[in-house]
Amino acid sequence: MKIERPAAAAGSSKVSRLLLGALTVAGLTSGGSALAADALRDGRIGYVMTERRWAVYESSPEGKIECPHGFNSGPREQFEELFPKNSGKTYTEMESRLMREGRAFHLENQKDPFPFYEAQGPKSYGLNLDGKVGPNDYQGPEGEKGVDNQLYRAIGCIAAYRMGGVVSFFDTVDMYRNGYNRWLIELTGVDDMTNDDDVTVTTYRGLNDLYRDGTGQAFAPGSTQDVDIRWGKSFISKLKGKIVNGVLTTEPVDLLKWPNSQPGVFSGYYIMRGSRFQLTVNQDTAKGVLGGYVDVESYIHQLNTNWATHHQSYGQLSAGSLNRALLRLADGYPDPKTGANTAISSAIELQFVQTYLMHPQEKKTVVARKSP
Amino acid sequence: MRSIGVSFASVTRDRDLSPSGLSRRVWIRSLTRSPLNLFHFLSTDLPVALASTAVFFSGAQLATAAEPAAAAPDPFNQYWQSADAPDHELYVKEVLPPGFQVIATELEGPVFADAQGRTLYKWPLQTLRNGATGDRQGRPSTCTNEVLRVSAGLMSPYPAGLALPDLDHRPSCVDLWPPVIAPKDAKAVGKWTVIQRGDGAEQWAYDGYPLYASSLDRKPGDVHGGTKMSAGGDGGVVRVPVGPAIGIPPGFKVVPSTSGRLITTDRGDSVYTWDGDDKPNVSNCYKDCLIDWAPVLAPEIVKERDDWTIVKRAPGVNQWAFRGKPLYTYNYDRGSRNFWGADVPGWHNAYTQRALRPPEGFTVQDAEGGGQVLADSRGHTIYYYNCRDDSFAQLACDNPDSTQAYRMAICGNGDPKLCRETFPYVIAPAGAKSTSRLWSVIAIDPNTGHRAAPGQESLQVWAYRDRPVYNYVGDDQPGVTNADGYGEFTGGRNGFKAFVLRDIFQGNAFRQ
Repeated sequence: MKIERPAAAAGSSKVSRLLLGALTVAGLTSGGSALAADALRDGRIGYVMTERRWAVYESSPEGKIECPHGFNSGPREQFEELFPKNSGKTYTEMESRLMREGRAFHLENQKDPFPFYEAQGPKSYGLNLDGKVGPNDYQGPEGEKGVDNQLYRAIGCIAAYRMGGVVSFFDTVDMYRNGYNRWLIELTGVDDMTNDDDVTVTTYRGLNDLYRDGTGQAFAPGSTQDVDIRWGKSFISKLKGKIVNGVLTTEPVDLLKWPNSQPGVFSGYYIMRGSRFQLTVNQDTAKGVLGGYVDVESYIHQLNTNWATHHQSYGQLSAGSLNRALLRLADGYPDPKTGANTAISSAIELQFVQTYLMHPQEKKTVVARKSP
Repeated sequence: MRSIGVSFASVTRDRDLSPSGLSRRVWIRSLTRSPLNLFHFLSTDLPVALASTAVFFSGAQLATAAEPAAAAPDPFNQYWQSADAPDHELYVKEVLPPGFQVIATELEGPVFADAQGRTLYKWPLQTLRNGATGDRQGRPSTCTNEVLRVSAGLMSPYPAGLALPDLDHRPSCVDLWPPVIAPKDAKAVGKWTVIQRGDGAEQWAYDGYPLYASSLDRKPGDVHGGTKMSAGGDGGVVRVPVGPAIGIPPGFKVVPSTSGRLITTDRGDSVYTWDGDDKPNVSNCYKDCLIDWAPVLAPEIVKERDDWTIVKRAPGVNQWAFRGKPLYTYNYDRGSRNFWGADVPGWHNAYTQRALRPPEGFTVQDAEGGGQVLADSRGHTIYYYNCRDDSFAQLACDNPDSTQAYRMAICGNGDPKLCRETFPYVIAPAGAKSTSRLWSVIAIDPNTGHRAAPGQESLQVWAYRDRPVYNYVGDDQPGVTNADGYGEFTGGRNGFKAFVLRDIFQGNAFRQ
């Protein structure tokens, strides 16, 4: 069965929902790979992000190597230490809850009253961002040297960020339950998906829902995403890169901003400096790492405005303690006035599935009208 | 193809109509050939239509709560109407106990009020993170004159038993929410009943919920104590203004929003009107127009009444019209309560009444969050502050008459100066006035955040619903909303939220 324009399959409008149904039938009758078989068209191929996780190397679930002292304490533990229930004293909200909440947004001093466990050990995921091998650099699991990922040192022993932790979990859940987070990349100028020495990667925010495959456990390639150029201009970035043996590597871009919010919050993003992709790409998926120096101030602001103390508590994530650790471990982009580093090296594991990008100038396809 | 509709044929606008005709089914020709539409009509629309028809037309009489001066609504403004616009929401008239009345309000539509014009509120039980509070339906009020002194621990992660702020002048629940006391000879009528309070007094209740006035309401028509808009699960157990049933036909509902009373289908699809329909009750949307727009179908036999009339598209094919304008849904809307269709020139969301315009100088900005926000004259986002305390009484702390301890902690770590720098008040120009009572200029003591005493040096600031509005120092350009979520529970509990008019990703949830 020939499908003339699978691009119109996965919008979330009423028309698009009809199209999705039509294409589901098409997929069942023509084989699962038919949709993405010709995903590269006119040198263009698009992807939509389906999974994202700050890269945390785990030697074991308990983290015996990287977290020999255990995991860090969170808001509940710290509150109990400061204001013990069995003290016999009635604490005021002013001196306890409101003091803690106020300082989460207005960090008063750099010294953390609580011990903070940084991730230990020689290994981490990530990229060599500065081209050097330094004393604080990690070794990648495959043996690559000079891996820059000081964010891992800060978050590696916080339960929320480890596999199955609440940040790790909700970062992905909120990706598909909150359309604000729809992040797209488009490769253009692609002559060959395996080897091409000059391609362009452009990031966008999308406007449509993600669609799962028939199992409900994974996301299917071949959907459509409308590109948001009305509200999402600030999320558009352009990177140059090349594909070698199926691995796309881009040059760093000075500033990359991508959306990340919890449902119900009308804002939220990360800003990464000197960031670059390293993704294994094919006509169905793109998987790999985004490395760069994440801006500390916006990182903490995003955390505090999108992930309340309540939520932080379930992952033993103290925003105040983490904020201090990030400022202490920041290793890039020094402030020209103070000399203090403003960004911290980091890596994010990413997964995308292929999608057809519909730019606003492209006419809508109304397949529903073909129904009898 | 044919589908089932509900007849309005036997419905008249008289009070003594027979309900026997209400459920009579008639066959009408469906305008659409889509199997999907047929499914929805049969499986979803019909039962709802039957149920709501019974409510809407069983002896009901529609009324308006005001007799406004006739004036043309401003066609250039998507979200607001002018103060003299004629648009007011109709409601279903019901028998009220002596002394009660229905008052038209600017944002909430018709609400019940007592003889003094005070808006009536209920406080339905709601579960928070660690427990529930509020009034149970049909049970006595839990709002008492006891001054609660410690927190209830309803909100994670903080424990119960923390001493609440400003204990030396902390009010009781009754101080802020005086119960609506019934005379000893009061008699129940309709949904109006009497429930005995713990102190033995009789309290009026509506639909089983005890009724209160709000200390924040000063004039008839004020609804400062609460709103019908959703507060969100973590916003606290809120008080909700109570009013009569809305006068709309089956198949529609009205969604309370920041821009007014938005009409949708009962499935939540926004309905639109078109400037191209230039004659009352006549549709010019045929052929290519129908690619993008779907007429909202009415049953074949239906009684027109008041704002709701019928467009004859073809023999037996009726389309709803509201105030003479044919209604449509937009085929490219994404989910419910949408404004996508209004992005198409000449098309407008339908409201029973829009909110009144903000004062001169305020603007609307496209926002990175995906939608539009209210902004100041520079285009910088306007924020409002939410707060409810963690007592069982869930007293509001979001206004200048309440404790400022919570707000000061969030915006300035307890420091008023840092607070003003982080969230500066939106200063009103000298002599500024508002034509809408939703907006006002109030004098604020900059150091305490409370109202300034007469003669005291103060800031003249804009207030929405009698609460100051703010900018955020971290918003360095128009269209950013960096402080949305700033505070406890992402700004819903004790913190700041952007004044969002449209939110494409959250289905325009219109958070309080």
